[in-house]
Amino acid sequence: MQRREVVRFLGAALALPFLPRGTEAAIQLGKSLHERLGDVPFRTLNSDQQALVTNIAEMIIPETDTPGATSVKVPEFIDLILTEWASDDERAAFLAGLSDIDTRASAMGSPRFVGLPAAKKEELMTALDAATTEKTGAALAFRRLKALTVYGYFTSKPVEQDILKVQMFFNGYQGNVPFTPAV
Amino acid sequence: MPPMTYDAIVVGSGISGGWAAKELTEHGLRTIVLEAGRPIDPAVDYVEHVLPWEKRYRGMGNRRRVERYQPIQRHTGACDEWSSKFFVNDLENPYSFPDDKPFYWIRGRQVGGRSIMWGRCVYRWSDLDFEANAKEGYGVDWPLRYKDLAPWWSYVEKFVGIQGRRENLPQVPDGEFQEPWPLNAAEQKSREILLTKFGGERVITNARLAVLTEDHGGRQKCHLCGHCARGCITLSYFSSINSTLPAARKTGRLTLRPFSVVHSVIYDPVKRRATGVRVIDSNTKEMFDVNAKVIFLNASAMESTRILLNSTTPEFPNGLGSSSGELGHNLMDHIMDGGATGTLPFATDRREIGNRPDAIYVPRFRNVKTKHPDFLRGYGFEGRAYRPSWERGSEMQGFGASFKRSLIGDLGPWEMEFGGFGEMLPRHENYVELDPHLVDAWGIPALRVHCAYSDNERKMQADMVVSATEMLEALGATNIRPFKKDNPPGLVIHETGTARMGRDPKTSVLNSHNQLWDAPNVFVTDGACMPSTANQNPSITYMALTARAVDYAVGQMKRREL
Repeated sequence: MQRREVVRFLGAALALPFLPRGTEAAIQLGKSLHERLGDVPFRTLNSDQQALVTNIAEMIIPETDTPGATSVKVPEFIDLILTEWASDDERAAFLAGLSDIDTRASAMGSPRFVGLPAAKKEELMTALDAATTEKTGAALAFRRLKALTVYGYFTSKPVEQDILKVQMFFNGYQGNVPFTPAV
Repeated sequence: MPPMTYDAIVVGSGISGGWAAKELTEHGLRTIVLEAGRPIDPAVDYVEHVLPWEKRYRGMGNRRRVERYQPIQRHTGACDEWSSKFFVNDLENPYSFPDDKPFYWIRGRQVGGRSIMWGRCVYRWSDLDFEANAKEGYGVDWPLRYKDLAPWWSYVEKFVGIQGRRENLPQVPDGEFQEPWPLNAAEQKSREILLTKFGGERVITNARLAVLTEDHGGRQKCHLCGHCARGCITLSYFSSINSTLPAARKTGRLTLRPFSVVHSVIYDPVKRRATGVRVIDSNTKEMFDVNAKVIFLNASAMESTRILLNSTTPEFPNGLGSSSGELGHNLMDHIMDGGATGTLPFATDRREIGNRPDAIYVPRFRNVKTKHPDFLRGYGFEGRAYRPSWERGSEMQGFGASFKRSLIGDLGPWEMEFGGFGEMLPRHENYVELDPHLVDAWGIPALRVHCAYSDNERKMQADMVVSATEMLEALGATNIRPFKKDNPPGLVIHETGTARMGRDPKTSVLNSHNQLWDAPNVFVTDGACMPSTANQNPSITYMALTARAVDYAVGQMKRREL
């Protein structure tokens, strides 16, 4: 962990009475906090954006009798992709789109999406979900967010192991197995 | 370092080099295999069972690293978060091309070469392919016909272990087959419909694959994890590491030297023979010679030719093997990225269990019995029918609890995909040369590649879209999505030619036994040797040619003719 990140992490996560002197000590403290919290600090999404991404991701894949997007850390995965994987342009377009989602929410009665009543949230998400040809703004951010939520959810350890029960050994191929959907 | 001396040298340990090593050592020759890359330890390097959640980017790849170090390699799908380590670092291994003629050269430098990540599809040729050059006046006539190679295909197929279905189709003769995996419900139904609707001309058959369905030669049958390009701990698909190199090692006559970049072939003008090769240790950069009576170049088509071009002497100022003027020329690949996908209306109450790495094949049907007005030669389709699982979620409308339930408990309808792989004509103007201004990390001149598809290939690609769409329409498919991409050559990773075989030393580089006209103890048995490329996947043919050439070389050595 770089010192800059440690400081940001400390600043964001806890109101500490003091900062230890020296970089090494700060890094050590950062590490121990990191281990204790068992958490990856967000590096791209600020707290408002985190709340928005978390809210929408959980509405795309909510907790039911199985875990939802939040509990398998989809928002953390999205932040990782934005930070280490996305190009500068892609990241900027995504963040601009998030802010555009809040702008759309304003027209519906709340300055932020997270403040909308549940029915209004669903209404806005349904509209964004249908806007498949829009290449920028809120619809683009929603489409990317949905794709990353689905991907991040189904490639997470709990889902691969406990829900999909991903198998690596098959005793031969079967191509004509009766199938009834379980929905 | 004093020169090392062996009976035989094999340059490269990929799919053809592994065969050269096996055959030479089994014939009693003390053989050194010089591999430019690192050794591979299956226990460490095979990662086919590492799940997405164990990878930092869950399988989306370390994008910044590949963009920086593998700007060419990243264009192939197998260069992913698991397998990018099996593809070269493009900065260490540069090559060039004119701005208007891009060529993607996809390479693997390690013990096993690209046999670790290859596509495993194996199809024999027929005389339709061997005779095409002579009949149509392209390139030179093959010095071989089906009957010359058929016993060698049988020989290698028996060792490799190939699953396939006997179809008795003249354009893709049957081989030595294990029972194939069955077609799935949607593919079987599609086969029946197309057989009727196209009068037996377009046949959906089981892909012929170098993937075992029965235990074979100490290797276990495939367990259908579906990730062959990442390695295989049960050794179920054929590769040098899984098959030929262990067989060569068993003879006690194999020396395998990784980190050995071959610089050039050393030529003795008095004996008119090669005496060995000049090698650079890739770690120490030290240069040393290895001597032998016979040399097999199996470094991959363009790498073997690069070594020859770099083997300049007063007798051969343009490189050993250049006396015909054809060394470096007649580079080919296949053409792909033409086809269509559609949603099938049947078998909705059926699913598959197990992840087949490859599924179906539609053998060439153009220019087989009737002549197509737009282009020469033909193409086959690879494809599959599959029911998408949760992956369909990003494209599927909706969100919330019912959306989630559907992704977990339901499957999409069967999607059928046909993707064409077509023949590229041999043309003198598609060629490689040494770039006077570019060297690799070891100071060896790099290649400059001049290669482009012609009208014939582009028309063929357009027809792939037409005929795939026709087949999907015949199947009653909906939501038909044709696709056609203008990718540059190279990306099919079937690059061949540049040191073609022939009947005449004035127009070819190698004779009918892959023997260099300019130096008879040098054999080139990788893709470089091909006078044409047909439309079939090429590796099994390189294997057969290699085994045949070794048999010939050993016979000549016994008769003291080499």
